[in-house]
Amino acid sequence: MSDDSLVKVGPADEFADGDHRIVQIGRAEVGVIKAEGEFYAMRNQCPHDGGPVCEGKVQRKLVGEFTGPGERIDQHYSDDCIVSCPWHGWSFDLETGTHIGDDSIVLPMYDVVVEDGVVYVDDGK
Amino acid sequence: MIDVTEERVIDCDWHYQDSFKEVAEYMPEPWHTKYVESNWDDAGVKQNLSSFFPTSTGDRQNYGKVTREHSNYPDEPEDPERVTEGMEFLDIDVSLQISHLILAMGGVNADDERVQAFTKGYIEYMMEEVLDPDEGVYGLAPIPYGDVDASLEVLERVEDEEAWVGACFITAGASPPLGNRKYDPIYERCEQMDYPVVYHTGGSGLDEYVRAGYQEMIETHTLGFLESNMSQIVSVACQGIPEKFPDLDIVFMESGVTYIPGLVSRLDEEYLKRPEEAPLLDTRPGEYITDFYFGTQPLEISARNDLLELCFDMIGTDRLLYASDYPHWDFDSPSTINDLPMLDDDDRRAILAGNAEEVFGL
Repeated sequence: MSDDSLVKVGPADEFADGDHRIVQIGRAEVGVIKAEGEFYAMRNQCPHDGGPVCEGKVQRKLVGEFTGPGERIDQHYSDDCIVSCPWHGWSFDLETGTHIGDDSIVLPMYDVVVEDGVVYVDDGK
Repeated sequence: MIDVTEERVIDCDWHYQDSFKEVAEYMPEPWHTKYVESNWDDAGVKQNLSSFFPTSTGDRQNYGKVTREHSNYPDEPEDPERVTEGMEFLDIDVSLQISHLILAMGGVNADDERVQAFTKGYIEYMMEEVLDPDEGVYGLAPIPYGDVDASLEVLERVEDEEAWVGACFITAGASPPLGNRKYDPIYERCEQMDYPVVYHTGGSGLDEYVRAGYQEMIETHTLGFLESNMSQIVSVACQGIPEKFPDLDIVFMESGVTYIPGLVSRLDEEYLKRPEEAPLLDTRPGEYITDFYFGTQPLEISARNDLLELCFDMIGTDRLLYASDYPHWDFDSPSTINDLPMLDDDDRRAILAGNAEEVFGL
């Protein structure tokens, strides 16, 4: 990774959990999101209708498990974090960019680097 | 104390024993002719009160136009021989018998045992009088799903009987809908027995199911049957029955096929926006629904060929099961399948018999 491939986002300590910043990388808007101490970056364009997905709510993913016939589905929040497009609710795993209901739908992800307290996104060049 | 004989008295509930036949003479058109042509006839005061004021628009007489035998319900009890006569008429080798009377079970709101009693009696009667695997006459056991224990007793009774090849759930009126966890033990048992679950639409509650106040059978028959299946498909898929019981074969009967792409498309669209509300699903509900089997009747052969072809592609010709619904008024002959131009002969054979052989182990 060469330094000139990094696009500066801003000081890491200016991000609270759940915060996002939007940066321009080439022709693409990219959202940098902080969730539970980790930084993620993904294309800020929902594949559904082009909504600003990275500006949406960041939450843990609600999952359910079948525990036995006749039992209620055991619903609980997993360790995985998701971001939900504010327009229509399409939701994506922050680690992988995968739609949480259909893994054939994937939002492009970018690498995030934190150096000397500054957050950068790798533009992939 | 007054002397009532001296008082004015008003009787607020006197019933004149009128008959529809007599009153029909005074009905305006088109009602006069509709009545005269209806086959409701002239049983006088004994005439069923619902002959003209139906509690359901589910009457099949079609104002007297359908005159074929069995177009309406026979006045006499069914004769088992008519099963084999009907099979010969349609040139059918194997038939799966579904109870006609159980179709109304969804309308039973009383907390009594009539549904359970009926299903148990029906099973004994059918085994004794009607079902005959040597002649290709098999049964689908009606499940009184409102009572889980009774349903398990029914399955226990039929488990080792060759004449029964699946469980039949009537989709109309099920409350809660059939994806609810309440029914899990029944599904678990069916899966264990390798018993397909056949969801069969029904007329009970038909008039109220979508919207009260329909006027004609064409309205309720188009939508009511459809809706009672669609509502259960959504429940069964979203509540994850195929994930809970992955080896369970699921069959939906008697709503044709053209509703499926619309329902699947709409449900998938909802799911992509709200997948966490169906957390047992690994992917779109449509992926599960197109793994279900579907009875073809009443097949919409008047639809555009390209629409039917799209439906068959979406569902898969390996998922379609020919069904006649005979002797009901709107039955489909095997030629309904055979004449479809978009199918090849392998598809035709699969739909007419091959798929059912696999699902029902015939």
